[in-house]
Amino acid sequence: MDILFVLIPLSVIMALVVLGGLWWAIYRGQFEDIEDEGKRILEDDD
Amino acid sequence: MLTNTFSAEDTPSNAAWTILDTEDQWQAFSQPVLNQDIQSSQQLVQSDLLLDGLRCAACSGIIEQGLKSTPGIVSARVSMSKKRAVVVWSPSATLPSKILTAIHDLGYSAFPATQHEDDLVSLQKQRAAFWRWMVSGFCMMQVMMYASPTYFTTPGEISSDILHLLNWASWLLSLPVLLFSSSAFFSNALRDLKQKQISMDLPVALGIIITFIVSSAATFDPSGWWGNTVYFDSLTMFVFFLLSARLVEVKLHRKTLGALDNLASRIPENTERQNPDGTFARVLNTKLKVGDIVRVQIGEAFPADGKIISGNTSVDESLLTGESTPIQKNLHDEVIAGSYNLRKPVCITLNTIGESTKYGQIVNLINNAAVEKPRLSKLADRVARPFLIFVMLSAAIAAALLWNIDHGRALMTAAAVLIVTCPCALSLATPAAMLASASAFVKRGILIKRIQAIENIADVDTIIFDKTGTLTEDHIQIKAIATKAGLTESAALTLAAAVAQHSMHPISRALVNAHKASDLPTPEIELNGIEETSGAGISATINATDASLLEHSGIGNELKLGSAIFCGIAENDSNTQQVYLANKQGWLATFTLQEAIKHNAALAIASLKEAKLAIELLSGDRSSAVENTATQIGISQYQSACSPEDKLLRLQALKREGKKVLMVGDGLNDGPILASAHVSIAMGKGVPLTLAHADYVFLNGDISQIPHLIRHAKQTMKIIKENIAWAIVYNLISIPLAFFGILSAWLAGLGMAVSSLIVVANALRLTKFASPETDTHSDQ
Repeated sequence: MDILFVLIPLSVIMALVVLGGLWWAIYRGQFEDIEDEGKRILEDDD
Repeated sequence: MLTNTFSAEDTPSNAAWTILDTEDQWQAFSQPVLNQDIQSSQQLVQSDLLLDGLRCAACSGIIEQGLKSTPGIVSARVSMSKKRAVVVWSPSATLPSKILTAIHDLGYSAFPATQHEDDLVSLQKQRAAFWRWMVSGFCMMQVMMYASPTYFTTPGEISSDILHLLNWASWLLSLPVLLFSSSAFFSNALRDLKQKQISMDLPVALGIIITFIVSSAATFDPSGWWGNTVYFDSLTMFVFFLLSARLVEVKLHRKTLGALDNLASRIPENTERQNPDGTFARVLNTKLKVGDIVRVQIGEAFPADGKIISGNTSVDESLLTGESTPIQKNLHDEVIAGSYNLRKPVCITLNTIGESTKYGQIVNLINNAAVEKPRLSKLADRVARPFLIFVMLSAAIAAALLWNIDHGRALMTAAAVLIVTCPCALSLATPAAMLASASAFVKRGILIKRIQAIENIADVDTIIFDKTGTLTEDHIQIKAIATKAGLTESAALTLAAAVAQHSMHPISRALVNAHKASDLPTPEIELNGIEETSGAGISATINATDASLLEHSGIGNELKLGSAIFCGIAENDSNTQQVYLANKQGWLATFTLQEAIKHNAALAIASLKEAKLAIELLSGDRSSAVENTATQIGISQYQSACSPEDKLLRLQALKREGKKVLMVGDGLNDGPILASAHVSIAMGKGVPLTLAHADYVFLNGDISQIPHLIRHAKQTMKIIKENIAWAIVYNLISIPLAFFGILSAWLAGLGMAVSSLIVVANALRLTKFASPETDTHSDQ
């Protein structure tokens, strides 16, 4: 089980990376309009 | 309790604020106070401010009191839900930068509430709140992952090295939750301490800190007296739940205020203004002045109230009046700000700008609506303080009693008591429900000026209606047609309409509309020499006629349409309004007119009667007209030819009987009774002064909403009572549980978050204006 000594710290780093991704998404406005973007894919034009 | 010494020498905390001190700058978010006392000779100004840092109902009190103790400020009202303040101040005694400084000194920040800043600030705040919530949620998931091995294993099964590593990882990921996500709780608690105030943030911050310290100690030194149990999972979960509740709360506010914002966002940013040399250039609407000539293109909104000076068009005023059909506007007709130009570009000269336009008045009504605090909410505020002191004492006693048994457990119990008693639910109960209802009303074209009016309209037992403009439309219709022998009614109407279509007079329009409604063929009549005598009638000469219509009736070729004198004939009935059609030889036809009764009036009255409400009709109109209307609609109690004083006397008589009266009216003569009635509704087309005195304004004048409004108000009061009862019961159960250590900190956090969510969700039910009978068309 020695691998845990690598995996647990790695999971912390991965978590921080994911948080960075979420930060990027929020401040790029990815969560601003959730409904309309979902509907737009069903529209014929464009 | 608050000793904010503000003196004239104080310099603003931020030099940039002084730019607001010039009059043209502060006018962007201010307006003169119109109904001020005659005693004070100085002109007062009312400014809208956006506030930042508000967390609980207590904050609004702090700001209000702080501002009122500032020289030059006459009054201040803070809306917790809208995070806005309305400050009435005297330009001769203070300056906007000083007001902002005063708020800043209290530990909050404020911005002038101009539309543009509103949007930017709220977007940034939404993102920040969402990001805090996201951090706490994601870290909570990870921490839970590290904590889960201990849930499923017996002690000793995991080696102490691995356990130590897991605790370390949990500690690391709890840090952003503590330092970033919950920073708002700490800063608010700190500010409250500085102000010697108690708010719900204080126990929350204490709970978080205690939990974190105990857990950190267990992580770094598992052999200490605090034990080796870590509570990072509880901590992160608690913060996540708290932030979730607040996120939902913010969503509710946005949903509620969205309808109001829609109105505010209709003012166009720029318009084509005519230069002195006759060319047009686009300018910001803020640069427009009274007297400017602007050209409004198709699809554009009118920037201000004004008069058409060239061209004609039709406009859409639906936003402002609920009138869905386009309205014809000719040369010299008035157009209103916020209405849309539909047909042709027109030039208008501006008469009224900004806040004093009809549009601006509506916006102002909305602002006043949100700022007014309901009485019950103040009750909740009063309850909150002693409640919190009691809670802090309980926590202290719990910790003291358990201290000798187990230090760690004592602290955890105190933390649980502190966490469980956050009065969010209590302070959220009333405003959430009232705001949700207000939003439902706005969607139906009903504005509430005083939000307490929801409470008032829920318990009315008598309704007084005004007639003209309230039960009846403001246009007229043809009631009966009498004709000379040999002339058919339809022929008479066709002739009259042919003449009338050349006039914009209301009676002419009524004749044309009646003709259109009767499905008669369009007359092939050519008229020459049409002459309209203002206030009397129209004369015209028939040039070419539809033979079938006129051949055998011997009408001749000269027609007159108008009053009896104009047509040169004797009036035969002075009790009703009549218009006559005549030719050279004399009388041809008589059209008896009446006010058009709103099509849903009878239905509304029937529905109100069903709800066991007494209904009266008080009108200033002639008795025959009132009687006609009353019998057609089904009101048995009516009084005609009432002066405003008569109406007021009747109201006072009813008040003496202990009746709670709802007054529905629109005219200036209804003003006094609207102002003094228990609760009042004004029609949106009414005069501004009447609107100012009414509690509700029906933008589209649809009185069939009244039964639904009353039903919805009753529902709102029921939900508020449910909410308060729930908040109290929840705390009564949870405090003893936490006190005796049965409730662990994370369960307490969950309970508290859920109690707030329940209150909010319960209130959200009110955002839909649903009633049993109207389910089929409630989505309109």
